[in-house]
Amino acid sequence: MNIKSLLAVTLLSATGLVHAQSAGSFIVYGGAAQINPQVESGDLTAPSLAGTKVDVKKASSFVGGVTYFWTDNISIDLPIALPFKHDVVGAGAIEGVGKLGTVKSLPMTLLAQYRFGDANSAFRPFVGAGPTYGYFFKPRATATLSGITGGSPATPTTLSMKSRLGATLELGAAYNVTKDWSASLSVTKTFIKTTGSLSTGQTIETTLDPVSIKFGVGYRF
Amino acid sequence: MKPLFTRIAAASVALLGSLLVAGCGGGGATADTTPKFSPSAVVSFGDSLSDQGTYKVGTVAALGGGQYTVNGIGPHWLERIATLYGLAKPCPAQQGLDGLASQGFSVPVKNNAGCFAYGQGGARVTNPVGPGNKLLGGSNAVLGQLTVPVVTQMQNHLTAAGGSYKGTELVFVYAGGNDVFINLATVQATIGAGGDPTAAATAGVTAMGKAGAELAGYVKALVVGKGAKNVVVINLPDVSLTPFAKSLPAATQGLVLQMVNTFNDQLKTGLSGADVVWADAAQGVRDQIADPAKFSLTNVTTPACDLSAAKNPLGSSLVCSAANVIAGDVSHYLFADSVHPTPYGNQLLSQLVALELARKGWL
Repeated sequence: MNIKSLLAVTLLSATGLVHAQSAGSFIVYGGAAQINPQVESGDLTAPSLAGTKVDVKKASSFVGGVTYFWTDNISIDLPIALPFKHDVVGAGAIEGVGKLGTVKSLPMTLLAQYRFGDANSAFRPFVGAGPTYGYFFKPRATATLSGITGGSPATPTTLSMKSRLGATLELGAAYNVTKDWSASLSVTKTFIKTTGSLSTGQTIETTLDPVSIKFGVGYRF
Repeated sequence: MKPLFTRIAAASVALLGSLLVAGCGGGGATADTTPKFSPSAVVSFGDSLSDQGTYKVGTVAALGGGQYTVNGIGPHWLERIATLYGLAKPCPAQQGLDGLASQGFSVPVKNNAGCFAYGQGGARVTNPVGPGNKLLGGSNAVLGQLTVPVVTQMQNHLTAAGGSYKGTELVFVYAGGNDVFINLATVQATIGAGGDPTAAATAGVTAMGKAGAELAGYVKALVVGKGAKNVVVINLPDVSLTPFAKSLPAATQGLVLQMVNTFNDQLKTGLSGADVVWADAAQGVRDQIADPAKFSLTNVTTPACDLSAAKNPLGSSLVCSAANVIAGDVSHYLFADSVHPTPYGNQLLSQLVALELARKGWL
């Protein structure tokens, strides 16, 4: 569906006076999201080269979730995503070494949203806020990480990232395409830190603070 | 609108379905240690810092020695690098000794087919007579190191390999220390014989510059020029920071530093334009000694080996092992003897080399 026809449907729905997003509605949606960490890395603890830092690259995945309309304007949103797989690369004193490993993330967020407009508005911008639990799992290190930390294929150096609680702010908008179908786009900023650890004993404090973009198509139950 | 219960049930089914798809598994930390480049072999040229057991024969082997470190307690830097690529421990291209038969230091020289670790203790860049060579007389004649110079090592490899590289070898060049020791001894001898100290020092530094330029020339002509595509040149570590240099007067330490810097400058200048990886071991050692704790080093001044005549007949890490180290925990000492690194020092060097290999996209 191109933008023009989407817009046409939207206008039709709007004039049709449907009550797409009213109190008590459940909207289950599916779509995609990209998480782009805005990394501020601390220094890796000893033993290491002074100023050894890391960067965590952006990742995309499928995302779904459910939105419950508490009132016509206040909703609760629970996104559920497939894991995001991020590259962890060297920075600072080890800039240029490339990938040290990958780590999967599963951000678990519960958002309280305020939606502007009426239940039957076609276009409804919204703001949201809520807690996020950043769950990091399945870290997989590279030969490079072993090489620069004294590991070997027999005893490779591995990495891990501590799962942590953070906070998320959201800005978005939804189009009610029909009475039951809607499309939404939102940008979120999550404030979250983590501690990376190596099997060789070093740790690194890292601020991730990702900016995420999420697109979804929802159906009202 | 459908009843609330039906709507909740329908929404739950949709959600559960997505959760099943998400299938979040366990979080075990693993590693994929496959490097980005798979060399067919590791080939190395140099001196004691790359020696994989050239003199691990006769009495040296009997004493549990063979490499210039604390033997037997951890892999050498070159072995660590080979291991990263899934290759076997590098073996010495040549073995033997030409010293005193009465002490078990006369062992016929043999060449090991398929072994490409050419580095030999005492080897210089060009001059065939380095420290420990019997032609220098005195205590040198006791051990009788072969000291085949780097230029000959490179030629020997070309002979063994049929005149050229396949282009799949990972080649290391790491030399210059023995040129410092011999040139420094020459300066001291000249001054001792009444020569002009300034002129003697200048001559020593000039000779080091020449050696550095020569090494660069050999790398270009005999390695890169013969088809080697993956070449790592490790510069000369800062010898002026070793226990050997620290035992000398400050002015002499300054001369050693000047020799090291001139050698490295000429080596780097000579390699400009050549597609080689440059590993700055000189800076590595400076960083380690400036902030030992940052590298988990507990001692950067005292040799880990007990070099007393009673414990170590050669006064060298060549015959040092766990059996004759000094008392206490020496696992994180930097130096094994007056110039050579411990296994931990070797690990730090391997990490420095690996860093540059990764930057080049070879790890």
